[in-house]
Amino acid sequence: MRYYESLYIVNPNFEQDRLDEVMKTVTDKMGEYGFSIINHRLWGKKRLAYAIQKHKYGSFILLHFETETVENLNQFQRFMILEKPILRNQTVVLDTRPEVQKEDEIVDESKEAVASSDSGSEKLEEETKEVVDEESGETGDEVVKEEASIEKESVEEEISETVEETAEVEEKEEVQE
Amino acid sequence: MAFQSRRKFCYFKENSITEVDYKDVKLLRRFVNDQGKIMPRRVTGTSSKMHRKLVRAIKQARNIALMPYTNISTES
Repeated sequence: MRYYESLYIVNPNFEQDRLDEVMKTVTDKMGEYGFSIINHRLWGKKRLAYAIQKHKYGSFILLHFETETVENLNQFQRFMILEKPILRNQTVVLDTRPEVQKEDEIVDESKEAVASSDSGSEKLEEETKEVVDEESGETGDEVVKEEASIEKESVEEEISETVEETAEVEEKEEVQE
Repeated sequence: MAFQSRRKFCYFKENSITEVDYKDVKLLRRFVNDQGKIMPRRVTGTSSKMHRKLVRAIKQARNIALMPYTNISTES
């Protein structure tokens, strides 16, 4: 028996009903191909690292399944690519059997994920980032300026000292002559 | 010596992690620079065995849009 994990991204504009529909079509297809599902749950709505089909967000759905035959995997992959609401999918082989997740945990996790992906929190994050950038930029410049001024002073002092020394040496030489 | 370099260590060995999950973006971000490039082993100090697993996980995370291929386009 081989175990697989498939993570797929569904159109972010879909609400719970349509998400359930998509999940149901995938589940039906799995049954058709002879795969037995271990877990099939919504992982949460997340911001994508890069835009896919001009979508900045995506609903991630995690699917664990097991199968003995590898023959239908290519067909499953093809089905996932052709399915329009699914933006991207990736299937990975697992070494061990994944744990079956209880429904209570699933509900909690999805809620947290949705809460974290709210626009309000993101705005806050962006603001804080900007503030940090400004602060760090200013302080950095000041430090650099201070260092530069100190270096200049020290260099000037050194130069003046050397000039004085040379003058003294010249005087002494004149006296000796 | 006035400047002593910090000792490098394998993060995974230190925390006794044997498998790298591509969904754990928080962990993977430690091994990627601001541009989104994978940091070399000589910088991070990761053991070669775990670095191979790490690289695979980062590439899988990039494919499923959990991590960026490059950060230049997202900033603008």
